Amino acid sequence: MVGASFGRIAFVTLVVAIFVFLVGPLLTIVWASVFADKILSFPPSGYTFKWFAHAWSMADFAQGFLMSVKVGICATIGSLALGVPAALAIERFAFPGRETIRHVLLSPMYVPAIVAGAAVYIYFVEVEILTNFQLAATFSGLVIAHVLIALPWTMRLVCASLATANASSEEAARSLGANAFQTFFLVTLPIIRPGMIAAAMFSFIASFSDLEKSLFLVGPGKTTLPIAIVNYLEWSLDPTIAAVATVQIFIIGTALIVSDRFVKLGKAF
Amino acid sequence: MAGTAETRGDRTWGGSALVLPALALVAVFLLAPLGLILRYSFDKYDPIKLMLGVFSVENYIQAVADPYYQNVLATTAKISALSTVIVMLLAFPVAYYISRVESQRLRGWLIILTVLPLLLGNAVRSAAWMIVMGTKGVANAVMINVGLISEPIKILYTPTAVVIALVSVLLPFAIITLQSVMDSIPTSLEEAGQSLGHSPLRTVLGIVLPLSMPGVVAAAAICFALAMNAYATPVLIGGPTMQMMGPVVYGQIAKANNWPFGSTLACILMLVTLVLTVLSTRFLSRKYY
Repeated sequence: MVGASFGRIAFVTLVVAIFVFLVGPLLTIVWASVFADKILSFPPSGYTFKWFAHAWSMADFAQGFLMSVKVGICATIGSLALGVPAALAIERFAFPGRETIRHVLLSPMYVPAIVAGAAVYIYFVEVEILTNFQLAATFSGLVIAHVLIALPWTMRLVCASLATANASSEEAARSLGANAFQTFFLVTLPIIRPGMIAAAMFSFIASFSDLEKSLFLVGPGKTTLPIAIVNYLEWSLDPTIAAVATVQIFIIGTALIVSDRFVKLGKAF
Repeated sequence: MAGTAETRGDRTWGGSALVLPALALVAVFLLAPLGLILRYSFDKYDPIKLMLGVFSVENYIQAVADPYYQNVLATTAKISALSTVIVMLLAFPVAYYISRVESQRLRGWLIILTVLPLLLGNAVRSAAWMIVMGTKGVANAVMINVGLISEPIKILYTPTAVVIALVSVLLPFAIITLQSVMDSIPTSLEEAGQSLGHSPLRTVLGIVLPLSMPGVVAAAAICFALAMNAYATPVLIGGPTMQMMGPVVYGQIAKANNWPFGSTLACILMLVTLVLTVLSTRFLSRKYY
């Protein structure tokens, strides 16, 4: 079986190489964030953490970071507030057009971000012309767009959670005299809690990492972190930008590992 | 899933009202805006009035007949097709490995490693590739040290760089899609193949590949659609000479203020994406076994 084991080694090597291709650049940028030299060159002359402080002292990055966190939290709350009731209706009640509505609620995931961003931007401007109510380049406008980015993730994860949970305990609670609200908060909610936590994490990640849709909707001096990164990259590439990217990698990586503890990631896609 | 709700159909329709707020949000802030740009895509641009309020297919004709936009479309399609083919070749072995690995822990970590890059967003991923592929980047440093080249070569701001970066953007989607399809192929079929004396490679090509064809087609359709819509990769990795659909749509609408023509290009992208997404879901729901 020498041939088979040789084949096996070649196969595993290929798989490892592909993972290096996927993850290698990310490790490189984390590495570059602690390079001492202001101009990137490999290998570095020494190491330092000063670029993190330097990045934070730059208004664009500090403000962009806070903006992304704020929008991400609002989008997560909004997508849970709308998505959990909708998932409950779809999984627990029968009504005409249910499957169509399920697809409509998942559709924001399939509309290309650049198309959705362009469409929402034009729409916001037209709404403003008609009603004098400004949404483009405002915080509320950005949050509305980000709730739409997050909603399909909440729908998917909470629907999956409800579908696998046995509905008979809810029925038992109802037949023992609990009303709809008691049943939801005391029986259903604890069952779908892991799904909701994963939904919250994915909603935040989807909002925090969005670039294309926000591009149309941010105002001057009010950008999100990914946009601040792209604007900076058009002019320079140095350890400062590597430090900013590293912060984003750690935030999203943490959210991902937390959500994996509640819902196995393979099921989220 | 469908069955659970049917059995409880007696429970009033009242509960179904819970779906309305979410539905309203999608209708008002996604479907209505898409409808609006569909309408504007048939309008005409005017330098002073911005739009004339007419209905004509002129923009669509310009999008396919004007040599400049023909070139943009052709470049986008070529780069997307090439990236998709490479992605499928790389995704297949990785998905097969993840799907058949015995340790559940290792499997979990491999899935995290696959989706982490996907979820980081295009800004960070592009920054990472710029550091790797720059003239003073890692790739050049390594190749010079190994003696492969003596002078740094230009990788960044070439079409090759765009394909490399796009492949890394699309790969996670393809791996996850293929892996879930392969999970549903019983391993007993491969064992049967092996017991007939076939080599592992022959077993994979003869049994796993044909059975995962719906997944391959679905994943390829998704990847091609995502590549067509790419924005950050062509802008940052391709540089200013790289003209692809995503950046051109942004330029027309946000910079040139040509809403009608920008809308036309956006609608073309939307149409391509819609067709490919429907195709991909059709194939994923088809079972060959």
